[in-house]
Amino acid sequence: MNDVLRTAKSCRHYAMCKIDFLGTGLCKSGAEKHYVSFYPQGRMDLYAALAENRIPVTEKCVEIAESCDLCGKCDYQCYFVTEMKPSVVMKALKEHIRLHLENGWEVLTAEKDSILDGLKEIVGDYWATSDRAVALTYSHDPCPVAEARMPEYVIMPCATAEISAVITLLNKHKIPYAVRGNGSSVMGFVMSEGAVIDLGRMKTIDFDEKNWLVKVGAGVAAFDLQKAAAMRGFRVNIAEPSALVCANIMCSGIFSTFSASYGTAADNYIDAEFVGHDGGMFRMSDKSAPNLFAFRKEDSAVPGICSSAYIRLHPVTSDEGAAFVPFESLEPALDFARECAMRRIGLAIGVLGGEYISVFLSPTKKLAAEVKVTFRDKLKIEYLVLVIGDKYALSAIQQMGYHYFDNRMIRTLNLGLPSLTSAKWLDLMDELANEEPFSYLGLKRFPDLAEAALAPSPAQLVRDVDPELRPFFEKLYARPEMTDPVWLNTFRIVSSRMGREKHVVAMIIYLPIDNTLITEINSEFKRIADSYGLKNDYGFITPLDNGKRCVFEYDYYLDHNDPDERTKMQQAMMEAGMMIERYSAETGTVTWIRYVFCQGFSRKESFLYSGAGADK
Amino acid sequence: MTGTKTADDEKHLLTGATGFLGSHIMAGLLSQGKGVVIAGRSSGGESLKERIGRLLTWFGIEHLEGLLEFYETDFLKRRLGLGEDEYETLCGRGLSIIHCASDTSFAEKNRARVMKSNVESLTEILNFAHKSRTRCFHFMSTAYAAGIDSIECPEALVNSAHFTNVYEESKAHAENIVYGRCREGEIPYTILRPSIVYGNSVTGRSLRFNALYYPIRSLQLIRDIYLDDIKNNYGRKSAECGIYMNEDGALHLPIRIFMPHDGTINLIPVDYFTETILSILEKPETETFYHITGNNPERMARLVSYTERFLNIHGIEVVIGTSSAEEMRNPPEELFDHFIKAFRPYISDKRVFMRENTDRATSGALPPDLSYEIFQRCMAFAVSADWGKRFNVLRP
Repeated sequence: MNDVLRTAKSCRHYAMCKIDFLGTGLCKSGAEKHYVSFYPQGRMDLYAALAENRIPVTEKCVEIAESCDLCGKCDYQCYFVTEMKPSVVMKALKEHIRLHLENGWEVLTAEKDSILDGLKEIVGDYWATSDRAVALTYSHDPCPVAEARMPEYVIMPCATAEISAVITLLNKHKIPYAVRGNGSSVMGFVMSEGAVIDLGRMKTIDFDEKNWLVKVGAGVAAFDLQKAAAMRGFRVNIAEPSALVCANIMCSGIFSTFSASYGTAADNYIDAEFVGHDGGMFRMSDKSAPNLFAFRKEDSAVPGICSSAYIRLHPVTSDEGAAFVPFESLEPALDFARECAMRRIGLAIGVLGGEYISVFLSPTKKLAAEVKVTFRDKLKIEYLVLVIGDKYALSAIQQMGYHYFDNRMIRTLNLGLPSLTSAKWLDLMDELANEEPFSYLGLKRFPDLAEAALAPSPAQLVRDVDPELRPFFEKLYARPEMTDPVWLNTFRIVSSRMGREKHVVAMIIYLPIDNTLITEINSEFKRIADSYGLKNDYGFITPLDNGKRCVFEYDYYLDHNDPDERTKMQQAMMEAGMMIERYSAETGTVTWIRYVFCQGFSRKESFLYSGAGADK
Repeated sequence: MTGTKTADDEKHLLTGATGFLGSHIMAGLLSQGKGVVIAGRSSGGESLKERIGRLLTWFGIEHLEGLLEFYETDFLKRRLGLGEDEYETLCGRGLSIIHCASDTSFAEKNRARVMKSNVESLTEILNFAHKSRTRCFHFMSTAYAAGIDSIECPEALVNSAHFTNVYEESKAHAENIVYGRCREGEIPYTILRPSIVYGNSVTGRSLRFNALYYPIRSLQLIRDIYLDDIKNNYGRKSAECGIYMNEDGALHLPIRIFMPHDGTINLIPVDYFTETILSILEKPETETFYHITGNNPERMARLVSYTERFLNIHGIEVVIGTSSAEEMRNPPEELFDHFIKAFRPYISDKRVFMRENTDRATSGALPPDLSYEIFQRCMAFAVSADWGKRFNVLRP
């Protein structure tokens, strides 16, 4: 496989090229034409399929290739996340099509199709297609347990009434369908041999500040909503920035570190509008509406298509800051996180492991690997508990006797990471840590010394970045928000880096913050993945419902293009699933996220405490 | 001399032979042609024999390995973790015992571990001493087991109620146990109390770089942070703290070292320590405490002048008193102060250690004063060894 094809096939489908998270502007054709096919993600898939002769050159193929203006924005975006430069693929795609046309080879035209005509009548000529090039870009994702399924149609409605009419038509012709947000769940949920309904055009955002809510269309991405909310002085609880908000609620209820105070699932919204599978429309607040607040501990199907949701707005105070409290092991970190949650200290709480910390802060894989070792071996930091809160919350943490990295120290650490990995003076920290862990963080002038020692600067941080992109990244990291932990946690733009080295499969469970139970399950996750030779690591834990429960993510990694690793991952996932089920049965307090999928509009209490009666 | 077997009545059973002091005692005994029975544990995937082997190499006495016997033991287990037959056989040899094994952490958070290692583990080793009818049980303690209740510290059991740290406390507690059990069981015993031991005054070599070395190493690293800042970042952060390059090429590094009161630091070189121990072992007087200490302890001001000269820095100042809470300290000063917090009691020490017993055993041999030449030799070796990182034979 040549490098271009390898890059094309390595696209993780995280849809980060569909949001303007770096301020570069969006891919022009994607923003205009909305189909994922016109974004770099789609072009990567398309090129790989053409290069491997899996699809013919079609009319849309030509349009997709020619609409790329090779602006290079995708390089900045994708490099930020995966360290890849997709523009080589974009060029290769254009070249492939140019040669095809130059040689006068056939360009396939979509056949006449009465169903397609019907769909076009509903959504407009451009917004329904059966072109194979478009269909291909909706046919697969890196999920190791999902097989590719090529849809007959891809439809992009822009109103609830259009969705309703599309569903009615598809039902009439008994055509199965899948509803797709940005597909960034990458769990194989959004594929169908029939039709894929892409809601990406429904981008309305209407604020109702008086009622602390914002009505969002089904096509609004989390990042865009957060940006709009932040401009008005609010915050919303979002998960992955490229995930579409309505789809994300439907999928897993939205959880983030802010879920420690904002909650999850039904806590996130006030109302929502749906199109049922019969094509009928309803609002959740209707007395006669299906009861989506309820939860049943079983694999579920989507209860309908959420066309818009009324999302809760949260206030933001000007004195918010972050505290990263270091710990040498998991148990005391959990104790601290639980105590903060129980005492209602802080807005966001997350117990982060070394993998996340190093990967999120580092612009390259190489640096991330070095940083992980430095944190563990030199600084003796195995876990960091992140708490975001106002000045009273941060003061409370100090009063509790914990030393922490504050905003300034995190900025220093982040921009000085390359120096950190080679700093001899860390040996002293190592020895101090043995006597009194992390006590240096309590020194008033330590930040000054750290600045002298690490010489933090954007230039230093990006010194290993690809030389072509380095000037851009140097400017990027000079922006205050790029090293502001509050902003980064609010907008979540670095979390997609967890899939930078390999595609990530998140094992997620809800359970009590019981140190013994968590430690046991953590070890089991590790044992299982290790037995298959898969890279794996602790992800994060966030307390829920004032520390009575938490959401725990453990991550397995795979090269999704490696058939052997896919097989191993399938086996590991099955074994891990059995392990979760065993703990669930034994404790009555462990809930696998598998059962929350498609029930994300339910009350969190119904799945957090499902063993206590909700599961009837 | 080559390693050959020696009679049991000349042999010693040594614990803690993989530590700094224990290893020097081992090397000293071997160099006298005496056999040593090493009781210790494997660690980090290395057997006891392998660990000792690395030390023999460091001392350049690999050829004496034949004088050694090895017993993998666990002092917290019954019969030292040995099989019944093995234990009985060892007991039957009536070896002299030198018990050096110890946990030297000062940290309160390690209290349980330190007490377990330094106090609890005595039970089995004293059972062994009793059962084996040892010629003499030599217990390695510290001069600072005397505690902080009185300035004059006699070579006798001290019942101090206050200590600087858990290590001192554990050693005082252990001395009491040794004293009580040995008297009760009629076990001949000595208590050996060294002060702070640094490297070899003749060669500069050392295996461990804490105590005296730690503040110098801290200052070197702090110095290097600001030298880098001056070299690579126009000295921006240095200027904020009044740090600059002098015309003579030395770094002006204004750091005040606050000491609660005037005092001294009692240092002895490891070569003196070893010679003294070997003298005591030669003719031990039972029920005797030995202060292996210096008669002319150093003042901090002199150590500071040595350090400035060695590191090519200026601006270090010893201040008697404590800094007021509102006093603005510069970052290196604050960090250095934090670094030496655990050692502060030892650099402004007023205690005087009587040493009549040691003088008698050594015919009055005293440790050399710490001249700049000795200081320079020891620190140069430490730097060349990257403060123990370049070779780390004590810890696998």
